Amino acid sequence: MDQLIEQARTIYEGEIDFAGQRLSEFLTHALLTISGVIAFLAGFATQDIYQTLYIGLGGTALTFLVVVPPWPFYNQHPQPWLPVRTGRSALDGVSIEVDGKKLS
Amino acid sequence: MHNTLTRVQNVFGFFTSVAFAVAAGIAMSVLLSPQAPSASLELKNVQVVKGRPHYYSTKREEYAHVKFDLDADLTSLFNWNTKQLYLSITASYPSSDPSTIPPSEAVIWDAIIPSDYAPLHPNTYIHPASKAKKSAKPKKKESGKPYPAGGSPGIVRLENQKPKYQITDVSGKIAKRGNATLSLHWNVQPWVGALVWTNKNSIGRWQGLQGGEAKFDFPPLKGTEVKKDDLKTETGGERNRGSPA
Repeated sequence: MDQLIEQARTIYEGEIDFAGQRLSEFLTHALLTISGVIAFLAGFATQDIYQTLYIGLGGTALTFLVVVPPWPFYNQHPQPWLPVRTGRSALDGVSIEVDGKKLS
Repeated sequence: MHNTLTRVQNVFGFFTSVAFAVAAGIAMSVLLSPQAPSASLELKNVQVVKGRPHYYSTKREEYAHVKFDLDADLTSLFNWNTKQLYLSITASYPSSDPSTIPPSEAVIWDAIIPSDYAPLHPNTYIHPASKAKKSAKPKKKESGKPYPAGGSPGIVRLENQKPKYQITDVSGKIAKRGNATLSLHWNVQPWVGALVWTNKNSIGRWQGLQGGEAKFDFPPLKGTEVKKDDLKTETGGERNRGSPA
């Protein structure tokens, strides 16, 4: 059950790694700006404002499709966790204090 | 951008910025399209008769009934950002004391002329067919356009046009007023951007309206010999507003 909830959470959150975050931000700006420019130019060339509307909305829909789902190419650089330290050395250099009592 | 919700918010947020920028660009691009509207407006007939403001009124006022000819080429007002054109013809006449009271202005006829791209609306102005073709019943369905075949929404030709509105003055007296002017006005209503009013001056690539004015005097009051038929007014599609067709 816990595993199922964990899977559902992963799909819902759709987390991506740091490199993917930079890429998705770049893609958002690039795709929307380009579709805006193309929409304006196409509408102006054909003298039909509906071209602008539909190309603009289409470009936005495409951007949502490209950026929003956690596509695999956003997870190509997973951040490695620090190596697990076991035994007494796990608490080396860490001091934990609770109610003024030193625990380690 | 680390999870789905943040990405949706970021994309939508930047989309609104882009949409605003494109809309601003469209609004400014209107200045690039040249305009050279021209019109010739002539008074055909004006009659002043006694009437009452509504059926049960005991007040009797003088009403002027103005017929006119209009031949206007406003094609250049229709660019890619024009949704519709509101045309009106007004009669203006000086007040009793022009130095302190501004002239009065009254609309005698108006029309909403949609561009080719505007969605169909019951108020759409149907251009009258030319006199020569009047025998053949004008078929609106043929081209699906509210103007004669081969025409354009910006070309308005009216011959001996009946007014939509009979006009009177606040004082109830309009006969024998001199120095009146009949003039054409418009509003260009864009898809996005500013509402543009009649311009008489040239600004950049926009030339002012050429013509579109006629001087006249209101005649003395007519007796009862005026035929009722002569005083008929025209109604547009907007007469059905608020009631089922």
